[in-house]
Amino acid sequence: MIRRPLPWGISLAAALLFLSPLLWMLGGSFAPESSIFTSPLGISSLKEVSFQNYSDAWRRANLGLALFNSLLQVAGILGLGLIINSMAAFAFARLTFRGRDIVFMLVVGLMILPMEVLVIPLFLTAKDLHLTGPYPNVMAGLILPFTAKAVNIFFLRQHFLSLPTETEEAALIDGAGWFRMYSSIALPSIRPALSTVIVLDLITHWSDFLWPLVICTREETRTVQIALANLFTQPPVQWGDILACSVLLTLPVLLIFRFAQRHLVASDLGAGNK
Amino acid sequence: MRSRPGQRFFHAWVLLTPALVLLSLFVAWPLLRALSWSFQQVSILNPQEVEPVGWSNYAWMISDPRFRQAYANTALFALMVVPLQTLLSFFIALWVDRPNPAWRWLRHAFFLPVIISMPVLAVLWTMLYQPMEGDQMGLINRLVTTLGFPAQDWLGNPDLALPAIAILSIWQGVGFQMMIFLAGLQNLGADQLEAARIDGAGPGKRLWHIILPGMKPSIVFVVVTTTLLSFRLFVQPYIMTRGGPENRTVSIIQLIYETTFLNRDLGLAGAGTVIFLLSLVIPLAILRLMRRAAT
Repeated sequence: MIRRPLPWGISLAAALLFLSPLLWMLGGSFAPESSIFTSPLGISSLKEVSFQNYSDAWRRANLGLALFNSLLQVAGILGLGLIINSMAAFAFARLTFRGRDIVFMLVVGLMILPMEVLVIPLFLTAKDLHLTGPYPNVMAGLILPFTAKAVNIFFLRQHFLSLPTETEEAALIDGAGWFRMYSSIALPSIRPALSTVIVLDLITHWSDFLWPLVICTREETRTVQIALANLFTQPPVQWGDILACSVLLTLPVLLIFRFAQRHLVASDLGAGNK
Repeated sequence: MRSRPGQRFFHAWVLLTPALVLLSLFVAWPLLRALSWSFQQVSILNPQEVEPVGWSNYAWMISDPRFRQAYANTALFALMVVPLQTLLSFFIALWVDRPNPAWRWLRHAFFLPVIISMPVLAVLWTMLYQPMEGDQMGLINRLVTTLGFPAQDWLGNPDLALPAIAILSIWQGVGFQMMIFLAGLQNLGADQLEAARIDGAGPGKRLWHIILPGMKPSIVFVVVTTTLLSFRLFVQPYIMTRGGPENRTVSIIQLIYETTFLNRDLGLAGAGTVIFLLSLVIPLAILRLMRRAAT
C-alpha cells in the first residue's frame, strides 16, 4: 500500500518531534513527580501510571467550579453572539435602509481593534454597569462584552450575500415576514459559516486569560485558564498536577473540534481575521 | 423587495439594535474613554476626578525607557515570528499538500497546537524550557544536550528568553498558517502544475514561476495577520517570565496593564493605548491604500 516509504518516514519523524511537547504533557500527567523531568516521555514506565495528579489538580485548582464557569461563559458568548451577529449581518446583507452603508463602514472600522488593548477602559465600563464582583454580575461581565463582534458580522454578511435571493423572494410573496425569512430560510442556509464562527469563538474564549484575570477577582468566579495559572504560581508547585490540569483543559476543545471538523471549510478559518 | 420603505426601515433597526448597542457600549465607548484619558491626569482610584494635561501623558510615555523597551521587545518578537513562521508554514503546506486522503493525519498533527489554549501551552513550554538540575531537565535541554550542545537557562537568560518565547509562538501558530496556504494551493489548481511538469519544469522552476506568483494573496494575508497577532503578544511572556529577565520580554500590553494597576495611572495607560492602536492602524491603512492603488 505504501508506495514511497521515504516521505512517510520523514513525515512520521517530523510529526513526532513536532508533537513531542504534547506527548510529554500526556505522559507526565500520569507520572509521579520524580519521573516528570528525568524521562523524555514524562513517565519512565507503564507501572507508574496513576490518576493521583488528576484528583489532586481537580481538588487544588477547584476545577469543577472553574470548568462550570468557563462552560457557562463560552456557551453564553456563542449562543447570544450567534443570534445578535447573524441578525445584524442579515440586516446589512438583505435590507436596504437609509444610513446602511455608513453604519456598516463604522462596524467594519471596529474590526481591527484588538480587545486586549481596550481591557482597561472596558474594565471601568464594566464596573460602572455593575458587571464585576460576585455572581451573577461577573458572569454577565464575562459574556456581554464579547457577544457582538464586528468580525463575525462582516463574515456572516458575506455568506448571506452569497445566497441566491430567489427562495427569499418566493417566501416574501407567500407572505412570510422579514423575520421568518431570516430565521427559517437564510440562517439554515449558512450553516457551515455558523459552525466556523462557533468553533473559532469557542477556541478563542476557552483560552481567555487577560479579561478573566482583570474581572474575576473572587475565587469562586475564576475561569479555567486562571485556575491553571494559579496552580502554576502558587506554592507548592506540583508539576504533575499542572500537567494533569493542562490535559483536562485541552480535552473538551479537542473533542468539540473533532466533532465539528467536517462542517468547517479550510479557507473560512482564515477569513474570520480579515 | 416588496415591503413599504418605512416598515423596512423599522425591521432593519430591530435586527441591528442589539449588535449596535453592545458594540457602542463595549467597544466604541471604551475606545473614546481611553482617548479622553490620554489627555488627562486621572487615577484608577477615582476615575471621576480628572484634570486636563494636554500632551504630557504622551510625552511621558514616549520617553519612558520601559515603554520603549516594551516596544522594542514586541517589534523584535514580530521580526522573529513573522518571517520564520511564514516560511516554515509555507514549506509544511507544500509538503503536506497531497491529494491522497491517507495523508490527512499529517495535517492534523501540525494543526493540533492551534486549538490548544495559549495559557496551557505557555505553562507547558515553561516546563519544557526548565534548566538542568542534576538529572532533572526540561525536554528542550534534553534534546540540546543529546545533540552535544550545553544546556541553557532559556527563560532566565536575557538574550535567550524572547527567542525562546518566539519559538513557542511559531510552533503554536504554524498549523494555522499552513491551513491558509493549503487553501491557497487548492485554488491554484493541479492542471497548471501538471502542465508545467509535462513541459519539463523542475521543482525549483515550478515553485518560482507558478506556485509563488499564484500564492501571493495567501502570502500577503498570512504576513499581515501574523504581524497583527504578534503585536498583541501578552499571555506567553506574562505567564513564562512576567516580562523578565531585565525587562527583556515585557510586552506593550503588559506595560499598559501594569501602568493601570500598579501605577494606578489611567492617563498614561490611555496614552499607551492610543500610541499602540495608531501603530497597528497606520500600517494597515497604508497597506489598504497600496492594495487599492495596485488594482
